[in-house]
Amino acid sequence: MLNSLLSQYTRSLILVAVLLLIVILEVLEVRAAIYPGLLPFFEWARSSSWLGLIGTTYGSIYATVEAVHLLSMAVIGGTVLATDLRLLGVVFRDLPSETLTKGTHKVFSAALISAIATGIFCAAGVGDKVYYMEVFWIKMLALVAGSLFVFLVKQPLLNSMPHDEINPWTIRLLAVTSLLIWFTVAATGRWIGFS
Amino acid sequence: MINEFLLDFAHWMEAQQYSQMLVAGYYSYSWLEATHVLTLMVSIGSLFIIDFRMLGLILTDVPASKLADRLHKPMIIGFVIMFITGALLVYAKPVETIQSLWFRMKMILLVLAFINAWVFNARMKAASGSWNTDSVAPKSLRNGAIISLVLWCGVVTLGRYIPYDWVDCGITNNTTILWAAGCVEQLNAL
Repeated sequence: MLNSLLSQYTRSLILVAVLLLIVILEVLEVRAAIYPGLLPFFEWARSSSWLGLIGTTYGSIYATVEAVHLLSMAVIGGTVLATDLRLLGVVFRDLPSETLTKGTHKVFSAALISAIATGIFCAAGVGDKVYYMEVFWIKMLALVAGSLFVFLVKQPLLNSMPHDEINPWTIRLLAVTSLLIWFTVAATGRWIGFS
Repeated sequence: MINEFLLDFAHWMEAQQYSQMLVAGYYSYSWLEATHVLTLMVSIGSLFIIDFRMLGLILTDVPASKLADRLHKPMIIGFVIMFITGALLVYAKPVETIQSLWFRMKMILLVLAFINAWVFNARMKAASGSWNTDSVAPKSLRNGAIISLVLWCGVVTLGRYIPYDWVDCGITNNTTILWAAGCVEQLNAL
């Protein structure tokens, strides 16, 4: 019985386990121990990797990839806003939220892949700089949290049953959490540029 | 003539107290820039969803005009915030921005993008028949969507180029670029 009950929430349980693991690692100061060991990788990414070399040698390519990163974030933002504001009942009230959620997910996923790919290139070009930025690590954490949230919690739950059968507060919580996480990703990303 | 006028105007703006305050403030310029860029998610995010729908890439089971109609308001709000923050960014650094080749090209693309949006809107209203529920819009609207995507990608890319100094007045000696960027003093010195 326990098995049948828990199997409905496999993904949510994985997410909780991942979050617990992060907390345990933080308490045991594992992150603080790993952090110095990452510096050579970031220095290598900046000065020796192909991405770093292209990014530091050709400013125009770097700026163009930055623009693609921004455009990808714009698409992520557009799809997140459309679906989450629909879930909150602010926009598209005459459209079924199932249609909007399913219809935008592919474009969201493609934009996320594009944002991550271009983000790796951008980070490699300034690897020795971003390593020391707290805001960069906050963005990385928010990005991981956002991706896990979308693929392990939000989409599985919204696809599992008609939305009117889900507790309205659960739906609202999903939408607000999603909006907050992706706003954090975008805002911290912008702040990296100022730091 | 026009370059001299724009440069004089930029110097006048730069001398204004509020322009200097925007640059001197520790966070004011950064907040303006952050708002300008983050509003992309509302304005261009909404616009791209409409364009993707016209091309049959997204939400094909939602009537195209309904999607465009519902996203119109957030999109316009996004663009209004972008224009206000964009204007303030120019006001904060007027001489540097007005003499930027990328800024000038961006403004040209912006004008073209708005003309395209106006034509697109008119064509969408004039289009008759059952296209609204078709997965792909008629060719004229698809073309408008592609032009819109290309122009806005160009606007964002050129906006991203503005902080880079590759062709700034003090860097290049190419007379065509100097003229196009409005580098009056450098042109007079040649």
